[in-house]
Amino acid sequence: MGHTITEKILARASGRDSVRAGDDVMARPDFVVAYDFPGYTDVIFRQMKEEFGIDRVPDPDRFGLFIDHMVPAATPAEEELHIGTRRWCAENGVRLFERRGIGHQVAAEVGYAVPGAFLVHFDGHISQLGTFGTLAMGIRRNLLEAFVRDKVAIRVPGTVRLDVTGRLRSGVMERDLFHHIVRALGPASCKFQVLEIGGPALEGLEVEGIQTITGLAMFTGAVTAIVNPAPRTLDYALPRALKRIEPVRSDEDAAYTARHTLDLDDLEPVVVVPPSPANTRPLRDYLGTEIHAGYLGSCASGRLTDLRAAAKVLKGRQVKPGFALHVVPTSQAIMAAAAAEGLIETLVEAGAFVSSPSCDYCYGRIATMTAGQRAVSTGTLNVKGRMGSPDSEIFLCNAAAVAAAAVEGRIADPRDYL
Amino acid sequence: MSRNSLPPLRGRVAFVFDEPDFDVDQIVGVKNIKIQDVEELARVAMQAYDPDFRAKLRPGDILIGGANFGYGHPHYPPMRAMRHMGIAGVVAESFSPGYWRGEISMGFPQAACPGVLAAVSRWDEIEVDYADNLLRNLTRGTQLPIEALSAGDAAMLAAGGLLPYLKRDLATGDAR
Repeated sequence: MGHTITEKILARASGRDSVRAGDDVMARPDFVVAYDFPGYTDVIFRQMKEEFGIDRVPDPDRFGLFIDHMVPAATPAEEELHIGTRRWCAENGVRLFERRGIGHQVAAEVGYAVPGAFLVHFDGHISQLGTFGTLAMGIRRNLLEAFVRDKVAIRVPGTVRLDVTGRLRSGVMERDLFHHIVRALGPASCKFQVLEIGGPALEGLEVEGIQTITGLAMFTGAVTAIVNPAPRTLDYALPRALKRIEPVRSDEDAAYTARHTLDLDDLEPVVVVPPSPANTRPLRDYLGTEIHAGYLGSCASGRLTDLRAAAKVLKGRQVKPGFALHVVPTSQAIMAAAAAEGLIETLVEAGAFVSSPSCDYCYGRIATMTAGQRAVSTGTLNVKGRMGSPDSEIFLCNAAAVAAAAVEGRIADPRDYL
Repeated sequence: MSRNSLPPLRGRVAFVFDEPDFDVDQIVGVKNIKIQDVEELARVAMQAYDPDFRAKLRPGDILIGGANFGYGHPHYPPMRAMRHMGIAGVVAESFSPGYWRGEISMGFPQAACPGVLAAVSRWDEIEVDYADNLLRNLTRGTQLPIEALSAGDAAMLAAGGLLPYLKRDLATGDAR
C-alpha cells in the first residue's frame, strides 16, 4: 500500500522512513509563518520570553511574519501592535513582509510555498499553499509550540481524495466549484482530514482558482488541502523556493479515507447564503435579492482571474448609484499586474472603489455594514457580523457575480454580462 | 503521558445543542463577541436559549453538541464564559477541527461521540471516561464509545492546556 503526499511530507518532517494516517508524531515544520494579530503574535512573543525564557528563535530563516491586518492602522493600539512585530522581527532576524498584500498570497509569491514542505500558521486559510504541494496547516494558538521548540505534536491526518472531471462552463468560476464541493461532500465531509484534489479537470482550472479552493478547505472540515505538484505549479514555486526540498506526490495505491468524483460540466454559479458557509445554493434561486454593497477581494479571491472577470462585466457599464463596490487586489504584485493590463482603469471608470491590499475589508474592520444592509462578497466567510452589524447579511459568490450585482443593485446572473 | 491519566468528567447534561454545524459564537451572540470581561460574557451567554441557564447549573455540568460542532469562525469568548459558569466539557456527535484545536489548547475537555444526541437528554447524569473511551449515561444505564484522543491532545488536556503542556514537555525533554 502506497502513501499519500501528506504522509510522505510528515514522514520527512518527523525524521521517519514512513508514517501512516493516525500515527502520533513530532514533526519539524520547515516554515512557521503568521500575521500579526492581537491575542496571537503579541501573546506568542511575550510568552516565548516570559514563560519559556527564549529571547531569540534559534533558526530565524524558518520563520516569516506578515503585516496585512489593520493596514493601514486606524488606532494607536493597532500601530503599537505593528511596532512590536517590527521590533520582534528585527531582534530575531526574521523576515517581515509588510504592506505587500494578504500574507497567504504573499507567502506563495515570496517562496514559502515549497512543494513538499510542512508549514504551520495559526490561521487555517494558509491551506492555500497546498496548491503547490505544500502541507500548510492552521493550528490556532498551538502555533506557540513552533516558537518554543523545534517540533510540533501532530497526528498524521487521513486524506479524502476528490477527483474533478469535465470543464467549468463560462461564467462558472473555481469559487463556485469550492462551494459545490461543500454542498456535494458536506461541511464535515473532510473533518480532521486533508482534502487532496486531483483528476483530469485540474489542469483546466486556473492556478489562482486552485488557490481559492484550497484556501477555503476548512469549510469542508479539512485541516488543510493539497494538490500533487504539476509542471506549471513547480514552474511557479521552485524558482522562488526559500528551501530546497524534493517534491513528493501521492502514490497511485495510496490509502484514502474516502474517494469522490465531481464532474464540472454541470456546475452553475452559486451563492452561499447567510449565516453559514455550509449554505451553498444555486444563484438562480436568489436573483433579484436587493444588495447594497459588494466586496471583491480577500485571500480566497481577489487575484487577476477574479479582477478580469469583474472587469469583463463592468467594462462600459456603471455601478448602480448608491451601491458601494470595494475592489481589493490580494497583493501588491497582483495590483500592479492588474494595472498593467488596464483592469484597474476599467474598474475605476465603472465606479468601483479600488484599494490597496489589506485583510480589513473581509472582517468588517472597514467598509463596515450597518443593520439591514446586505453584501455580495468574495470574502472568506458569511457568518453573522463578519462585515459589521450582526444584523447585516453576506452572500458569498464569484467575482463576476459581485460585479453583476454592483451593476443591478441586486443579485444578478453574471452570465448575462459575459 | 498516557491518556489513561486523564480523569473522567462526571456531571449533568446542562444543554443539548442539537443543530448541526453549530456556530458557538451564537452562545454569547455575535454582538457580544468582543467582550473581554468573563463575568460580563457569562451574563449574556445563553440568553437566546435559556435565560435561566446559569441559575440551573452545577459545577461539572457538561454540554452536548450535534454534528460538526463549532463550525464557522469560532471565537474563544463563548467557551470562556461556559468554563466560568462551571461547565466542565463538551461531548458532541463530531467537531469542527478549528474549534476543537482551539478549546483543547485552552485545556477544555472535549469528546467526539457519534450517537450522543440520541443517547442523552437534558439533565441526565453522564460520565466521560477517557481511560476506556466511553460515554456512560448514568441516568439511563447505557454507554457509547467516544473517539480516542490523539497523544498530543490527551497530553494537553492532562496538563491543563497549551502553556502548562509545553512547559512540562520542555522541562522533561519529552519529545515522545
